Amino acid sequence: MHRYPVMKESDLPPGSRKLVHVAGVEIGLFNVAGKVHAYRNVCPHGGAPVCLGKITGTTLPSRVYEYDYGLDGCILRCPWHGWEFDLRTGEHLVDPATRLKKIPVESGGDAAASLENLERFPVESEGGLLCVVLPGGKAGGPS
Amino acid sequence: MLENTPAITARPGLIDTDVHNAFANVREELRPYLSRAWQAYADYHGILMPGTGYNSSVGVQREDARTPSGAMAGSDPDFMITDHLDRFGIDFAILTGSHVLGISVHTDPDWGNAVATAYNRNLAERWLGRSPRFRGSIVVNHSDPEAAAREIRRCAPDKRFVQVLMASGSSRLFGQRFFHPIFEAASEYNLPVAVHPGTEGAGTAGAPTPAGRPTRYFEWHNIVPLNFMGHINSLVCEGAFEKFPQLRFVAVEGGLAWLPQLMWRMDKNYKALRSEVPWLRKLPSQYIRDHVFVTTQPVEEPEKSSHFLQILEMINAPGNIMYSSDYPHWDFDNPRMTLQFLPKEWKQRIFHDNAAALYGLAARSA
Repeated sequence: MHRYPVMKESDLPPGSRKLVHVAGVEIGLFNVAGKVHAYRNVCPHGGAPVCLGKITGTTLPSRVYEYDYGLDGCILRCPWHGWEFDLRTGEHLVDPATRLKKIPVESGGDAAASLENLERFPVESEGGLLCVVLPGGKAGGPS
Repeated sequence: MLENTPAITARPGLIDTDVHNAFANVREELRPYLSRAWQAYADYHGILMPGTGYNSSVGVQREDARTPSGAMAGSDPDFMITDHLDRFGIDFAILTGSHVLGISVHTDPDWGNAVATAYNRNLAERWLGRSPRFRGSIVVNHSDPEAAAREIRRCAPDKRFVQVLMASGSSRLFGQRFFHPIFEAASEYNLPVAVHPGTEGAGTAGAPTPAGRPTRYFEWHNIVPLNFMGHINSLVCEGAFEKFPQLRFVAVEGGLAWLPQLMWRMDKNYKALRSEVPWLRKLPSQYIRDHVFVTTQPVEEPEKSSHFLQILEMINAPGNIMYSSDYPHWDFDNPRMTLQFLPKEWKQRIFHDNAAALYGLAARSA
């Protein structure tokens, strides 16, 4: 496992999304109401760049002919087929067994990793760092 | 694969879910049940029904099923008992009528309602009283759902009626809220709602295909399932089975081999477009398995019968398929020849158990 610092926490305010390339892997980072989630940018259904989809809400389970909109900012709709994923869990709303590949994301980052990998970052001294954790591999910064 | 379906009874049994009782003289036989005003109308016009314009080149009636007096096939209850029920050992015949389904696509809903009531009263007196093996369908005019609901409530206390029946031809898809009064009334009495083809393209019904009208009867008959797919798709998507959890829908004479395609396409689309129908709680195909029943005739006859079995496996609804003969019509399926390749367990369900469970018919004592 290795921790890769990818951006400053302040670069991903609530409601925003960033795409990063780390060790050959495309990863989408999403800040949903203050909590950061990271997913591989591959839809488990058809291989689409799912993280480029619309961040939206949806109609909640309701009675027939009633429309109850909610989960605003929690739903990622895949740009190819429109499958809805709950950004908080990565689960497809229809079939929760189908889920986005979750990438562990940590804030803070350790100083050693930061020193080693952040040369390509326009890092400022203040503010925490967001790190994604990928299996194996050597340390490396965003490509 | 066969779990969650009715228990197998001790004896085979045979229930025919599409048997056409008919009229030797429809005007004379319905006239006593019409009001004076509608009697006058019938005296002038006859029991007027819109036609499709498509005529079978082999006729609709089986030539050999004419009554001994030479009258219309299916018009004599006694002859139907000997010629069909006794001949094949049929325990129950679900009567689906003749001539009158066009009431739903007639321009005048009042005429449609009048004929529906006259038909149902005639049926109860002339047929359902003749033999306990005859079970009736409450024919309704779906162009006036409130009146149809009243007719259901009028007839349903008579338990010899086991379902509601209406034309599959329509200017609207059946899941739409316009029709919900019919489903509400049927649900009150736990009666399935069946539809039967024959009016596709007739009267106020839509064209038999979205691209217009087939050229000949052969072509028209081939494509009837298209209309059934439309209605079943509508019933599921509109949430009719969520709103009316008791509702069972019977697609009579519309085939079944198209079900895998419809189920798969619906399920796939649901995964993308769920937000349009937030009232659905499960995959569309599951609503079909839980609520939709189909009758077999005219059964698909692939070159390899094993392919039919594969279709049954794909549908995966062993409790929802029911044998029908369509007696006395030209495309009759003989119960001794049809689907004989099925494994014993499937035969038991399709020829008896599924209909017995749906219609609440006790198996004949051994």
